[in-house]
Amino acid sequence: MRNKLLSIRNLKVSVDEQEILKGLDLEIDKGEIHVIMGPNGGGKSTLAYTLMGHPEYSITNGTVEFEGEVINDMKADERARKGIFLSFQYPEEIPGVTVEDFLRTAKTSVTGRPQGIMAFRRLLKEKMDLLEIKDEYASRYLNVGFSGGEKKKNEILQMSILEPKLAILDETDSGLDVDAIKIVAEGVKRIKDETRSILVITHYNKLLDFLEPDYVHILIDGKIVKTGGIELAKEIDEEGYENIRLSYAHA
Amino acid sequence: MITWKRINLKNYTFPLVDEYKKEYINLEEGLPPGARLDKTCNAINSIKINWSSIREDKGLGKDFISYVNESYNSGISLYLEKNTVVDKPIMADFIMEKENPAVVDKNIIVAQPGSQAVIVFQYSTDGEVEAFHNGFTEIYAKENSSLTIIKIQRMNSLSHNFDTNVAYVKGGGRVNWITVELGSQISGTNYTTYLDEESSQGYLSSIYMGDGERKMDMSYSMIHRGRRSISHIEARGALMDNSRKVFRGNLDFRRGAKHAKGSEEEYVLLLDPTVKADSIPGLLCEEDDVEGEHAASAGQINENQLFYLMSRGLREKEAEKLIIEGSLMPIVDKIPIESLRQIINGEIRRRFADA
Repeated sequence: MRNKLLSIRNLKVSVDEQEILKGLDLEIDKGEIHVIMGPNGGGKSTLAYTLMGHPEYSITNGTVEFEGEVINDMKADERARKGIFLSFQYPEEIPGVTVEDFLRTAKTSVTGRPQGIMAFRRLLKEKMDLLEIKDEYASRYLNVGFSGGEKKKNEILQMSILEPKLAILDETDSGLDVDAIKIVAEGVKRIKDETRSILVITHYNKLLDFLEPDYVHILIDGKIVKTGGIELAKEIDEEGYENIRLSYAHA
Repeated sequence: MITWKRINLKNYTFPLVDEYKKEYINLEEGLPPGARLDKTCNAINSIKINWSSIREDKGLGKDFISYVNESYNSGISLYLEKNTVVDKPIMADFIMEKENPAVVDKNIIVAQPGSQAVIVFQYSTDGEVEAFHNGFTEIYAKENSSLTIIKIQRMNSLSHNFDTNVAYVKGGGRVNWITVELGSQISGTNYTTYLDEESSQGYLSSIYMGDGERKMDMSYSMIHRGRRSISHIEARGALMDNSRKVFRGNLDFRRGAKHAKGSEEEYVLLLDPTVKADSIPGLLCEEDDVEGEHAASAGQINENQLFYLMSRGLREKEAEKLIIEGSLMPIVDKIPIESLRQIINGEIRRRFADA
């Protein structure tokens, strides 16, 4: 039985001709929670955008396999339909498009099945209640005038509606207070099961207090330099990245 | 013969116009006693208008206006007595088809002090007809009256559309134009609002869409004469294929318009490199103590917005469509009638589907 969900081999990625990822390897099995930590500028968000297929991030070497299929050249929408989801660090505002209409359209695209208006409205309300999002947000324009925290919650709402196989959370915890982080973490835990996996990108430990990651990876200068369990996150919390950076530099 | 370079009109002559036999207003609708609605042909004498009061050369120009005055075959005249409030919208629906291919409508609306109404004009075609519309609408909004005039043009791409609109607004009066330009091969429209007296207000919201070979010339003017008069022009559009448009927005502060405020903004999405868009904002001042501002921007679809929507599974075309529809929506939302909003959204979608 295949358990492998995502497999990244020797991935090199450039933005504007500048190499950001410099040979990154990562394997994620179904049902696992992985965390990527690292200092700013190390390539964390680049990894997130690359996995989602942002056209400005070009893969110059290596492969990204999702469920055994190389997805290097797939566009973002195809990846979404395969089951990849990115919770954006800075979600875009889309004037004139309501949260409800947008999510119904997205759900239709991802599942390939038209969504009945009333049934979808019930589903949306249920998910919004769980995330403590007020009903009125369904008819507001997508992210327009939302606070930073509201945008992040809206990302998790989208995730819980679309039910991806792999959810990548790019700094979803930044800009959230502890209560909101708890609600978000619960939302993440609800979609995670033995077939769905989570990749958390963060430089805080806050979200990790509520999620139990299987692996913690340290991403420095475009490569994963160390992998461990939750103890690694605690070590970084206390000592920062300097020791790891030094030992990596000497290696 | 008319030559109008901006929209490729050379040695143009107006077609011969027959009667327009279709019903276009529903007179059965219950209007309050103070409101009188007629077809212009029947009513020309029932409203006393001092025709010599037309003070300036205006609109699309003498050729277009005198043609309407001489050859009109349809139109409405609406007279609202003092403080009459019509709460249901008044609808004039012109559908051009093979038997009735031309509408030359002359519309007169007189709103006495304190009266209010919403009037909707629709111009559309049925079938592959080479339709022709040339209209002239005059609005007299007296003290503290409030009129919303909505014009929705979605004629087919074989047709020609010309429309001149003029409003004279007295003290505290308010005229709110909403214009939706989605069709025809050639379209020239002009809206001129004279803010004649103290605290008169003029608003114009416009959406337009260019596809195929459409050529559009839109000219919107707010002429401030009254103290503390207020105006705002807001236009949003999207152009694709080989369409072209000229947009002119004029804020004209005449002597006496002390403390007047006017603003205009235009935002257009250019969806193909083959489109052509000109924006010509104008600001004229005879008074010092006025505030006028304008903003215009033209751009492509924001790549990050597109990526965001695609990351949720929407195909590229679908995501683009949503962004464009969304950019027009703030103006569509201003139309207070749900069925019209649906017609407009449907038409925008249809034009994308054809693209």
